[in-house]
Amino acid sequence: MSMFSGITISASGLTAERARTDVIAQNLANANTPGYQRQVTVLASRPLAFSDALGQAGGGVTVAGVTGDGAPQRLVYDPGNPQANAQGYVSMPNVNPVTEMTDLITSSRSYEANATALNTSKTMFQRTWDVLR
Amino acid sequence: MLFDVTQQSLELGLQGSSLRQQALAQNMANINTPGYQRVDVDFHSQLRQALERTPSGQIAQPNFAPAHPGSDTAVRVDGNTVDIDQESSMMAENALEYQGYTSLLGLRRRMLLDTMKLNG
Repeated sequence: MSMFSGITISASGLTAERARTDVIAQNLANANTPGYQRQVTVLASRPLAFSDALGQAGGGVTVAGVTGDGAPQRLVYDPGNPQANAQGYVSMPNVNPVTEMTDLITSSRSYEANATALNTSKTMFQRTWDVLR
Repeated sequence: MLFDVTQQSLELGLQGSSLRQQALAQNMANINTPGYQRVDVDFHSQLRQALERTPSGQIAQPNFAPAHPGSDTAVRVDGNTVDIDQESSMMAENALEYQGYTSLLGLRRRMLLDTMKLNG
């Protein structure tokens, strides 16, 4: 790969964190939608291996998938609700706004960290051009 | 002076710190990946070993490979060993080092140009 792979790696981090933020926003938006299953983002790292001193293969992080978290839904007794079952219970999503907000903060901070890393790589490459001045 | 050991060391230093920057960026990108083991490039000791093997003239190209050195700080519950504070300080340190190498290379280049002008 090119000498700019530091930038590519940080860009993959930015993409992954943005995807995570999207999923969190989706969970929060559906916090009161009956039948909705909370979604989680599965992140996987791509191995970093320098094939030779200047070449490099892979690196960074990818979104391996977005899946339901598998936790049971919350049954709320609301017989007047048109979505209630025969016993008068509505299955509400297992979304906890506090969990989502903390995840959102983590994701946002990680995004910032990747942006800073990208900036550092960019400054380093700019310094290389300065040698020729 | 043009291609002496100092020049070669500076070039290898640039190479090494550039690869280290990639490793640190990789760690930051995987700050939320469960089970991720941090990587680092210990180019200093590899460069020193290469210099020790070199009596004079050409330095043998050291093998700057990423390794999993582990973390000094506690491992998180999800098995991730990245500590964001450690990584950012290492990245700042590495960028300064890179800046030092480029400054020295630029200086040597200008010295060479000045010497050439003496004859012109």
